[in-house]
Amino acid sequence: MAIGDYPKEYKPAVHGPYDPARFYGKPDTPFGQLKLSEVGSWLARRNKSPAALMGACSRAWWRWQHKYMQPKRVNGAPFFQLLVGSMTFFYVINYGKIKHHRSYKYH
Amino acid sequence: MLSRIALRSVLARQSASTALVARTSATDVSGARDEVNFPRPVRGEPGKVRLGFIPEEWFQFFHSKTGVTGPYTFGVGLITYLFSKEIYVMEHEYYTGLSIFLIVYYGTKKMGPQVAAWLDKEVDSVEKSWNEGRLQTVKALEDAIANEKDSQWRAQGQELLIEAKKENVLLQLEAAYRERLMNAYQEVKRRLDYQLEKAALERRISQKNMVDWIVANVTKAITPDQEKQTLDRCIADLGALAARK
Repeated sequence: MAIGDYPKEYKPAVHGPYDPARFYGKPDTPFGQLKLSEVGSWLARRNKSPAALMGACSRAWWRWQHKYMQPKRVNGAPFFQLLVGSMTFFYVINYGKIKHHRSYKYH
Repeated sequence: MLSRIALRSVLARQSASTALVARTSATDVSGARDEVNFPRPVRGEPGKVRLGFIPEEWFQFFHSKTGVTGPYTFGVGLITYLFSKEIYVMEHEYYTGLSIFLIVYYGTKKMGPQVAAWLDKEVDSVEKSWNEGRLQTVKALEDAIANEKDSQWRAQGQELLIEAKKENVLLQLEAAYRERLMNAYQEVKRRLDYQLEKAALERRISQKNMVDWIVANVTKAITPDQEKQTLDRCIADLGALAARK
């Protein structure tokens, strides 16, 4: 599988038009339905290769796009999500500088 | 280079049927389109959110475990923890953030509905402009079908008309035939009448001639003696008649 190819599991004859938000491999139990004891084995079963990680990010991006950005009548939610997300991101990357502004020594 | 030429010749020698078989067996095992598990994606409504940006599903995830207020309790607890441990530090940018939040909140509440209405109108107009050509084509094709049906109906009318015209021609032929029949009858009758008249005339003329001839001959044959005798006889008869009276 080279860069720009469809996932190996995607078969146009069976799956129809390609949905970039969809995982075409064998589905596992959704994370939200796991018991706490199963989380470890669930994480161990994940494919942690760079290509798989990029694929997961891409699917998450397209799922968000299809759910919030691409519908016909979009509300303000995706923009506020972007705002909150970027605020959190910049807070995290600047945390090393911001933590010097702490007012209390003991918490 | 040489290997590529060899590959090309192998590909050229491969027959079309084996190539097709190889391709279909390579792509898929069952081969049928799975519409149940992999339906065609449809463009849905935007996802539901609470507090302006938090997905509804996250609250649903909490509901079965903590009840309806659980997610809010968790959120408030998390923020309190972050503040309390100064993981989230309230430096000067925090107050900037608060004022920005107020501005955004006020702007959304004040201008959101108008902007939404305007954007919806724009979306509708764009969609309408995209659909217009398609709808016009559909309408033109429907009109063409209606016209075609109409002309078929007219053609059926033409058939009726031709039928009527044929009948008319047959009637004319019948009329001409009867007229000629009548003509022949009258001609024959006229000739027969002529023959009859001619025969009657000939007979009359010959009768007249015969009578004339006989009368002439008879008159010629009467001698003065006979005339005298006859006159005497007549006078005698008249006398006898007078005497009887």
